[in-house]
Amino acid sequence: MNLLRLQRYANRNSYLFALLLLVVVLAINYSLQPSLFELRVLNGNLRNWFPLMLLAAGQTIVIIGGGIDLSAGAMVSMVNALLVGSLLTAESTPDEVLLGALIACGAGMLVGAINGFCVAYLRLQPIVTTYATSFIYAGVALYVLPRPGGAIPADLARTYRSTPLDIPFVVYLIVLLILFWLALRATRFGQYLFATGGQPNAAYASGVPVNFVRFLTYVLSGLFAALAAIALTISVSTGNPRIGDKMTLDSIVAVVVGGTRLSGGQGGIIGTVMGIVILGTIRNIISFANVPTWSQTLVDALIIIAALTGPGLIRLIRRRFQ
Amino acid sequence: MKVSLSAQHIVKRYSGVVALADGNLNVESGQVVALLGANGSGKSTLSKIITGVVAPNEGQLLLDGRPVTFASPQAAKKAGITAVYQELSLIPDMTVAENIWLAHEPLQFGVRINRREMRRRTDALLDLFSGAFHTLDADALVADLPPDEKQIVEILKAFSLKPRVMILDEATASLDSRQVDRLFNLIQQWKAENLAIVFVSHRMEEIFRVADRATVLRNGITVGDVAISETNERELVNLMIEASATPRRHERTVAADAPVRLSVRGLRTQALKGIDLEVRDGELLGIGGLQGQGQSELLLALFGAIPWTGEVTLSGEPVHFRHPRAAMEKDVAFVPGDRASEGLLYIRSILENLLLPSWQRYGIPLQLDRGRQDATRIADDLGLVRPSMDAPVSALSGGNAQKVVIGKWLLRNPKLLLLNDPTKGVDVGAKAEFYNLLNDLRQAGTAILFYSSDDVELLELCDRVLVLHDGKVSAELSGSDLNRANLVAASMGSGHMNHEPA
Amino acid sequence: MIAQVRQRLSPPVIALLLAIALFFAGGLINPAFVNLTQAINIVRLAAFLGIIAAGQTLVIISGKEGIDLSVGAVVTLGAILVFRLSNGQNEALLYAIPIALAAGALIGALNGVGIVIIGIPPLVMTLGMAGVVQGTILVLTQGQLVGGTPPIMGQLISSPLIGPFPGVIFIWLAVGVAMWLLLERTRFGKHLFAVGVNRTTARLSGVRVPLVVIATYALSGLLAAFGGFILLGFTQTVFLNLGGPYLFPAIAAVVIGGTVLSGGKGSYWGTMSGALVLTLIDSLLRAMQLQEAYQLIILGFILVLLISIYGRQSDLRQ
Repeated sequence: MNLLRLQRYANRNSYLFALLLLVVVLAINYSLQPSLFELRVLNGNLRNWFPLMLLAAGQTIVIIGGGIDLSAGAMVSMVNALLVGSLLTAESTPDEVLLGALIACGAGMLVGAINGFCVAYLRLQPIVTTYATSFIYAGVALYVLPRPGGAIPADLARTYRSTPLDIPFVVYLIVLLILFWLALRATRFGQYLFATGGQPNAAYASGVPVNFVRFLTYVLSGLFAALAAIALTISVSTGNPRIGDKMTLDSIVAVVVGGTRLSGGQGGIIGTVMGIVILGTIRNIISFANVPTWSQTLVDALIIIAALTGPGLIRLIRRRFQ
Repeated sequence: MKVSLSAQHIVKRYSGVVALADGNLNVESGQVVALLGANGSGKSTLSKIITGVVAPNEGQLLLDGRPVTFASPQAAKKAGITAVYQELSLIPDMTVAENIWLAHEPLQFGVRINRREMRRRTDALLDLFSGAFHTLDADALVADLPPDEKQIVEILKAFSLKPRVMILDEATASLDSRQVDRLFNLIQQWKAENLAIVFVSHRMEEIFRVADRATVLRNGITVGDVAISETNERELVNLMIEASATPRRHERTVAADAPVRLSVRGLRTQALKGIDLEVRDGELLGIGGLQGQGQSELLLALFGAIPWTGEVTLSGEPVHFRHPRAAMEKDVAFVPGDRASEGLLYIRSILENLLLPSWQRYGIPLQLDRGRQDATRIADDLGLVRPSMDAPVSALSGGNAQKVVIGKWLLRNPKLLLLNDPTKGVDVGAKAEFYNLLNDLRQAGTAILFYSSDDVELLELCDRVLVLHDGKVSAELSGSDLNRANLVAASMGSGHMNHEPA
Repeated sequence: MIAQVRQRLSPPVIALLLAIALFFAGGLINPAFVNLTQAINIVRLAAFLGIIAAGQTLVIISGKEGIDLSVGAVVTLGAILVFRLSNGQNEALLYAIPIALAAGALIGALNGVGIVIIGIPPLVMTLGMAGVVQGTILVLTQGQLVGGTPPIMGQLISSPLIGPFPGVIFIWLAVGVAMWLLLERTRFGKHLFAVGVNRTTARLSGVRVPLVVIATYALSGLLAAFGGFILLGFTQTVFLNLGGPYLFPAIAAVVIGGTVLSGGKGSYWGTMSGALVLTLIDSLLRAMQLQEAYQLIILGFILVLLISIYGRQSDLRQ
């Protein structure tokens, strides 16, 4: 690969900064917590992060397509409430669990479709609209599960925690996620996605079904929110109608830290996966570094701002020196 | 396979404005039909209807004699009708290959994009223009390409769909003469392959080179459909415009002792490698050359809009503008060529647009009455046709919108006027009015620096022309040296000049 | 029909009519709803939202997806600073208020610098800054909210001042007039609209775009801090998430009032009407004494409905 192609590759694959950041924070975490890469610790961390990873994956697709989904967390709350409040109990059979999961995915896609319809076909502004719909989904969550509680079969949690071939089960799932993304990018839909987000008018003039693509991104966001809720429910083995409240903003931060541009047309799930790991590692660092309790939020926020402004600052410096 | 396309009595209305009242166009295999008309004649609308971007209110389209309707650009493409537009339909962050094959990428197993095949086909297409570009490459990002190469990608993109009818809408606007030659050769080939071509253009010279027939639109109505061999430029122009707006003959004398308004030594920017020039009061200095040789950069640098190094003296004192505001305060004005994205605030009122550079004159709180008086005065002086001063600029026609762009600067009585290809995409009538205006300004003593991508315009208007090539002045033409041949030669960087006897 | 309504009346007027209609609709549900006291109450509640939404109006007008998600946190910070620094003493307000306002302006200016100089999208920058402000609040207070509310604030802000009308209503009117002057009768306002429509055109017409953007976000921070001060006059105490619940309603108020999210167009009168509409919807839902779940769902539906009327964007095909 000559230098020019390398440079073009770097520009297009915007998660290289995220990769650098990832290495740095992992190194810092390792120095504070030498057991970081031990199987037990690794498994614990990844299991914690995986639901948010799924949610952020869906968010990535929406953002690349030029939109944003502020109802992401509310959708998770809703599906979690559905699973625990009406679909499953601690005694559910495997068939019932499968059915429950399918219904959950259907519910996610349905609410995603509502979002998609409003944004793509009614042409409503994404930020305010998905914020408004988040109220609806949060309300449904409260309706189905007014108080935290409920349970699911213990086997599920055990499988989630397991380590087949000495590799955490979650890692297999993460690999599946990445493979999904690579497959998506190799299809025409992948091109449509990037074109729609990058320059919708040009895409439309080129024959890309822009409205349908946008609609589909929100449906996928809903699907991933449902998958995130399934993973979360298995992980914590209980239900809480407000469980998703904080997840929306975290998902957006992870996407941006991972190098995907908020304006659309560029980025990827690989970067987002790294973004989640970076965020989680930073929070680990804060607790291991014995930062005083009342200062933890500030430190966390400062690091996040640094991670968010990093790519921008680098671009600025590069331009000044050209 | 022969094809024929006919648009009959097309009507199109946009919330109160009639864009097309009776649009007609006929084209067949092996024919190039030129579509002419002033801005606002309905020319663009007609071509958008034929290609399915916009739906007509009345009238019909006949393809091979059968009526068709297109619900979207995709439908028109499926029927074999493709267009190459002036406004680009390219995705900046995707590569040339990805752009050309967007929505019809070659697939393996019906699902997976076959990137190797995509690359191969792209290379084959690029070969059609080989030698006429320097950055183009199948894997290059479109965002990194200069405007002329982007236009080439647009043309190849349309061609990759193997169309039966191709509409070239101002497709040569960004191309240099070498690239235009290549395109015209391709057109001859395409004619032989039974393609039908509609060639929309403002450039008479090209129309007479490449077209077989000409269809003329005026005020939304097709007023003429003639064979090129049976007509001439004057006739076509008369069909296009109301005869009232004809350009005056220009007096071309500049007093040799007029003060030097602007003096530039060694101006350097990213694209410019050292420019020297001088402009006197009342002089109209033209800047010419192929696209992208630094002409816009020169003007932007003088206006303080981009960083530069060198020495500039304005009205006798050395200056170094770092922001347009600084230049404005020294009575310099800059009229951009792309008025939509650089010259106007489309959703704001005409009044606000005219007063935008001048608000600090009206005190705190703003005395809007005084402002309205000043703005109305300049609008009347320029003959601005408008519903009201509070109407948004988007309600104006192209020529009138251009007047707002100039008007906001004329309000400030600039001593130095910088014009960045201001007549690109402006129709003949509005151009004539514009030339008269420039002449008036010259008589009044304004120093004018005028970049145009239209050689004919430069030759007609300017006293002197500096031709830029590769970031430097390759020739300074004036008097009898100021002719077409020398202009073209200097644009190519050639040192040969035809010195004609005085 | 909706399109005709939109064409004939400007959005602020529509929003105002909607607010009045809602008020009387409330009377249908509960006749005790429609009386002067209740009306004053609604306007009083709306005033807090309206003042907090003032800065948001400016930011959204500035275009390029302008938005300020740090408003909630800055409101809280402003209230806490006044609470702590004045410690219940009226005279201390003379320096407590300017300090709070300055802190808000500084945070806003930092937002502006990040957005226009480093090039970070406003959503991301202000979101990050909100976290920093919240973290700063925790560090400053160490979890303990000590201080006091000077009595004069209650007198001037939430208690009846002239007749039955509390001071905050007059303050809100004053803010309304000041915002109108700023947007329509100053050079800054004209430049702000220009920046919101097209930054290139603005720059090439002599507008110093970075300064305008930074000033706008600084004003947003300042107005948010001011909002916090006003809110303190009502709540008479502070808590860690004082401003949070006002953040997104403020944005909704701006949108309902007809200010377009793409920038370059809008007014504060619209935001004021929007604040009234939102407060009315909220009060009505409470008056109906529905379960929280139903309240949320209905609120969401109504918001989507309102956005459908105002917030539609241009079509790709005409």
